Amino acid sequence: MAVSGVLSQRTHVRRKAPRTFLRRLFRRQKPRLRLETGGDLLVHLNCLLFVHRLAEESRMNAFENKDGVIKKEHVLAAAKVILKKSRG
Amino acid sequence: MADTYNSDSEPTTRTLLRRVLDTADTRTPRRRRSARIGVQKARLEMPLSSPTKMNVSRRSQRARSIDRLARVQTSGHLDEQTPRTLLKNILLTAPESSIMMPEPVVKPVPTPQVVQSSRRKSSQGSLELQLPELEPPTTLALGLLAPGRRKQRLRLSAFQQGVDQGLPLSQEPHGNANASSLTSSLNLTFATPLQPQSVQRPGLARRPPTRRAVDVGAFLQDLRDTSLVSPGDSLRTPVATLPTDTVLEDTQPFSQPLVGRSPSVYHSLPCLSHTEAEDAERAVSHRTQSSGPKLQNYNPGKQAQLLARKAKNVDAIAMSFPNKSSAISGEDGVDLLQDGIDEEAEERMEENLSVSEVMDTTGTQGSVRTENSKGYREMTEAVETNEPKGSSEDEDISDRRASPELASNTTQSPQARRPQFLEPAPPSSTAVLSSEPLSTRLPPRARAPGSRPRQDPHKTGLSHYVKFFSFCAKMPMEKKAVEMVEKCLDRYFQHLCDDLEAFAAHAGRKTVRPEDLELLMRRQGLVNDQVSLRVLVERHLPLEYRQLLIPCAFSGNSVFPAQ
Repeated sequence: MAVSGVLSQRTHVRRKAPRTFLRRLFRRQKPRLRLETGGDLLVHLNCLLFVHRLAEESRMNAFENKDGVIKKEHVLAAAKVILKKSRG
Repeated sequence: MADTYNSDSEPTTRTLLRRVLDTADTRTPRRRRSARIGVQKARLEMPLSSPTKMNVSRRSQRARSIDRLARVQTSGHLDEQTPRTLLKNILLTAPESSIMMPEPVVKPVPTPQVVQSSRRKSSQGSLELQLPELEPPTTLALGLLAPGRRKQRLRLSAFQQGVDQGLPLSQEPHGNANASSLTSSLNLTFATPLQPQSVQRPGLARRPPTRRAVDVGAFLQDLRDTSLVSPGDSLRTPVATLPTDTVLEDTQPFSQPLVGRSPSVYHSLPCLSHTEAEDAERAVSHRTQSSGPKLQNYNPGKQAQLLARKAKNVDAIAMSFPNKSSAISGEDGVDLLQDGIDEEAEERMEENLSVSEVMDTTGTQGSVRTENSKGYREMTEAVETNEPKGSSEDEDISDRRASPELASNTTQSPQARRPQFLEPAPPSSTAVLSSEPLSTRLPPRARAPGSRPRQDPHKTGLSHYVKFFSFCAKMPMEKKAVEMVEKCLDRYFQHLCDDLEAFAAHAGRKTVRPEDLELLMRRQGLVNDQVSLRVLVERHLPLEYRQLLIPCAFSGNSVFPAQ
């Protein structure tokens, strides 16, 4: 099989996904459930997108308050919106 | 078949030789080697040209054999070993196949005179034969007839001489090599020429790179050295000496600190899971008790010891936020926080209720969840949120408490809430508090060192996403905002796990598959008909992960990953 086990020993993955961390989280939360091999990468993708949206939203909040620094309340308000969006 | 040999249409060596033999004059050699040949001389002298064709036809019909040679000799081609006769001999006996084959057959016919005469002939042949191409065939044929050992020795030495000196033609084996390349009738072609090249140019020979061996050796030595230096850190040294970019699986940024603490972490986990089922019923009452002291002490030591194992969760979380809570309590931000979190608490409660009705397991898990989420609440509102949470577990008791407080939560303004929080909280808690003055203080000390490792790896794992957040935000952030992001991430993970569980259960599976993930992203609005999952994968994930997720066709009619 060609390129199987794609990740050879020497590859430098620039943006690594904390796969073990994610799997452990999932196991802690749902000990009964199993997660597939490609699944945790998709979970990582989901997290990235969530964080991305959260950051955008909090940035917008900070801009609206004409703040040069992101403060807790910006993040909080953004979290409310984005968490509701990502409920699925 | 015989005719083709006789015809001179193809300029093979045989035909050329034949021509030469026919045209050239006969000469009488001065020496006589064997009596047998001498006897044959007279007979052979006369029919020189005529029987050639006959002999050729005869030869072509039968396989090469010694008898054949003898008959040929007796039939009368040898005339005192003239070059002509010898050549004829060779021609008749030598087969048209490879040189190597007839050697064993020809060996038992030692004709030293042939060899010696061949040497002479080679010198003479060059004079006689006008065509330069014919020289190799002579040497070739002679090589066939010569005795094996001597010929081989000659060959080797001659070969080496020829190779060293670079002589083109003179030596037999070299000539053989050339002949082999020249004669199309011979099968052996490229065996010998390869050797001379490598011998001639040793610099071109490739040596296997010895880099790897040295590296491993040096690596092992380094290992030993480091292990000698720090025998106690046997676990750490391999991690330390590992190059940072080797194994992708080692994504834990906190692999080293885990070495000493992992056992304690794992101990706490099974304890939790065991007691979850047992303490489900006691959860509510304990929670209220625990929440009471929480209010008063602002300490980690607020947890009830009855809830000891179960409350470990809360402990760990609550402990980490003591400073925060005390600092925040004075801020206005708390109101917003309470406001926001209370709304979510209601939502969570509703969710909990609905979810617990649907599924059995969430009963125990919901308690964990609520514990987790509870830990993130501020101290002041912990009471109110706990009691509504408790309703999911034991609805009879807590509903009564929950409903008035729920009503109070929803109706009151954020500002007015805080004093109201404090008012109902102390009266309910004082009754409970008195019962457990001591128990609250002891357990946290025992748990303090144990709960730290549980949170640290969690935080360090989350830090990856927090860093990503700060990168995406492109603006400076306060530390509190960072902590807020961590909380949001935790809650998000809980949501995620719940949803995935729901989807997998809906499909009747116990394993979460990528299809569940895709459905989740579709519901979140990330994946549309315009934007597919693969597009997102390509945008945001590095190549190594992309290759794992998106099936791609490779050579050999294989697709990876297999579908």
